[in-house]
Amino acid sequence: MPALAQIEINSVSKKYKTASIESLSDISFSINVGQTIGILGPNGAGKTTLISILCGLISPTKGSVSYSSESANIISGVDLKRIIGFVPQEYAFYHELTPVQNMNYFGSLYNLSKKEIKEKTDALLSVLGLSHVANKKINTFSGGMKRKVNLAIGLIHSPSVLFLDEPTVGVDVQSKLSIIEFLKKIRNQGTTIIYTSHHLSEAEDFCDELLLISKGKIVANGPTKQLIEKHKSDNLQSLFIKLTVAE
Amino acid sequence: MKLMASIKKELLLLFSDKVGLSIMFLMPLLLVFIITIIQDSAYKMVNENKVSLIISNQDKGEQGVKLIQLLTESGLFEMHAQNQLQSHELKNYLLDENKLTALYIPENFSDKLKEKATQISETLTYELGLSEIEKSNTAIILPNLHFYHDPVLQENYSYSITNVIGSFLNIIENELMIESIYAEVGIEKSPNDFKEKIMSNKIVIDRIPAKNDEHMINPNSTQHNVPAWTIFAMFFMVVSLGSNIVKERVNGSFLRLKTMPTNYTHILSAKMIVYMVVAVLQFALIFSIGITVFPLINLPQLVLPSAFSAFIVMMLMCSMAAVSYAMMIGALSKTQEQSNGVGAVSIIIFAALGGIWVPTFVMPEYLQIISNFSPMHWCLEGFYILFLKGGSWSQLFPVIGFLFIFIAVCQITTYTKLKLEKLI
Repeated sequence: MPALAQIEINSVSKKYKTASIESLSDISFSINVGQTIGILGPNGAGKTTLISILCGLISPTKGSVSYSSESANIISGVDLKRIIGFVPQEYAFYHELTPVQNMNYFGSLYNLSKKEIKEKTDALLSVLGLSHVANKKINTFSGGMKRKVNLAIGLIHSPSVLFLDEPTVGVDVQSKLSIIEFLKKIRNQGTTIIYTSHHLSEAEDFCDELLLISKGKIVANGPTKQLIEKHKSDNLQSLFIKLTVAE
Repeated sequence: MKLMASIKKELLLLFSDKVGLSIMFLMPLLLVFIITIIQDSAYKMVNENKVSLIISNQDKGEQGVKLIQLLTESGLFEMHAQNQLQSHELKNYLLDENKLTALYIPENFSDKLKEKATQISETLTYELGLSEIEKSNTAIILPNLHFYHDPVLQENYSYSITNVIGSFLNIIENELMIESIYAEVGIEKSPNDFKEKIMSNKIVIDRIPAKNDEHMINPNSTQHNVPAWTIFAMFFMVVSLGSNIVKERVNGSFLRLKTMPTNYTHILSAKMIVYMVVAVLQFALIFSIGITVFPLINLPQLVLPSAFSAFIVMMLMCSMAAVSYAMMIGALSKTQEQSNGVGAVSIIIFAALGGIWVPTFVMPEYLQIISNFSPMHWCLEGFYILFLKGGSWSQLFPVIGFLFIFIAVCQITTYTKLKLEKLI
């Protein structure tokens, strides 16, 4: 499997067939391996559209997204799918099955061996505090537990790049903290994380770099502290309000 | 490996829904039991039980009594005399007593019949030159017999009963005619043996089912209903499989699958295999109940056709048609509610058009043409060829041909829809 070096987003625009205006307009930035990027913006800013284009769920109307390896080769197709992990906002698993059954199924689709799946499942469920419900049907779980299962499945194949679309939406404070702590561990192990959220303090604490978008356009981009200083704001929240309202 | 994993996942999902699973197997069993018992009782009612007939004979002559005698001797009716009742009272009595049929014979029944017979014989003898006096040709109006029946009695039953009464009336009229002709030519009494010869010279009609295999048993309620209702139940899997596909498409698991190194074709193939197995198991269960349990509850035993390989092919084609249709509904529907609603209603329409409830030959011509578009019509036709007619491969070709086209259309539609959604 080729090692990822960089993700390059060049002038990406997206206009849905049924929409009158572009959801994304001329978005360009790059992500280096190991970085944690937070994509922030108000509702309808285009966060989910951008993350969907980045992980190949939808195609841009204009522009391109390229994943390049250390040897500067483009990574695409099945190779690309093997190195990315996606955790959508929705609960993307089978509620009628147990976490172990879900992990077995999704792990098999990555051609992982039974042994690899078992080791990875045990480790992920343990660190996420789900070992005690590993063999219980998910439809009996709380929202927080379901979010954790959603996350665990996205990590079953140890992806190099992890896309998280609102991974803590709708969960209680304890679950949120536990998910963020877990993500920090993943980040520290060298996984590139691209993440969308409404929780600004969470993003400020967790991300190396931020990409603020509003009405489909980038309004600010760079390391979190630098952005706050550059725009003479007290914190990320005031920066966010300043930039998105100004837009 | 991916296919095996998907098959395992589908099986786990299927077994996790115990209620849905039991409905898939219990519903057809119940349907087959109930419908076969009902039809078997109806068959026995017509063929083995006597129909209760209330008679009010107001006739002053002999012919009313004669008609009653003939009806009694036929063994088809259980006669109840209520001669004190007039026609309108007879109707009320029938309704009040919750009886099925009643016959009112009017006062001048014998007189008018005799009058008519005399007129015909006079005309005949004059025409033949046996008499020189031409008699009047004034039209004689015969009195009507009133046959009352409970409105719940199906029309075909009441037609059958009136036909039986009509044939006995013919006998009486013929007898009167013979007697009149004899009287007209001056013979006081017709020889009894001659009259007997004429009256009893009835041609027996043998009822022979047209089947290819002479060893095949005669059609009965089991041979009709077991294949028919198994097909109906099998197509009903559209509710389970259709909503399974929609659920996967509309919830997040579909999004996740799109980012994974797999293809939805694997997932669809796994669904197809699992539900084909379910359909075959439905067949196996219902048919084995027809063979083993039906005789224990006094229902005719199901007899499998001698062309066993053709039977297996038909079973697989029907299963595949049901699964393909369910997949198409699942692919085309946007919500589970849509899939369940459209799926269930379309299956009921297919069943009605396909002859599951009433045979297609009794339908108006335009409906018979439309019924050709129901896959259930062809599935049923295939099984009837095998189960009732003892048919062969060559007779099955049109059936298999249509089912093949139906399966291809469903599969192509499913593929195209999922391709448009960039799932495949």
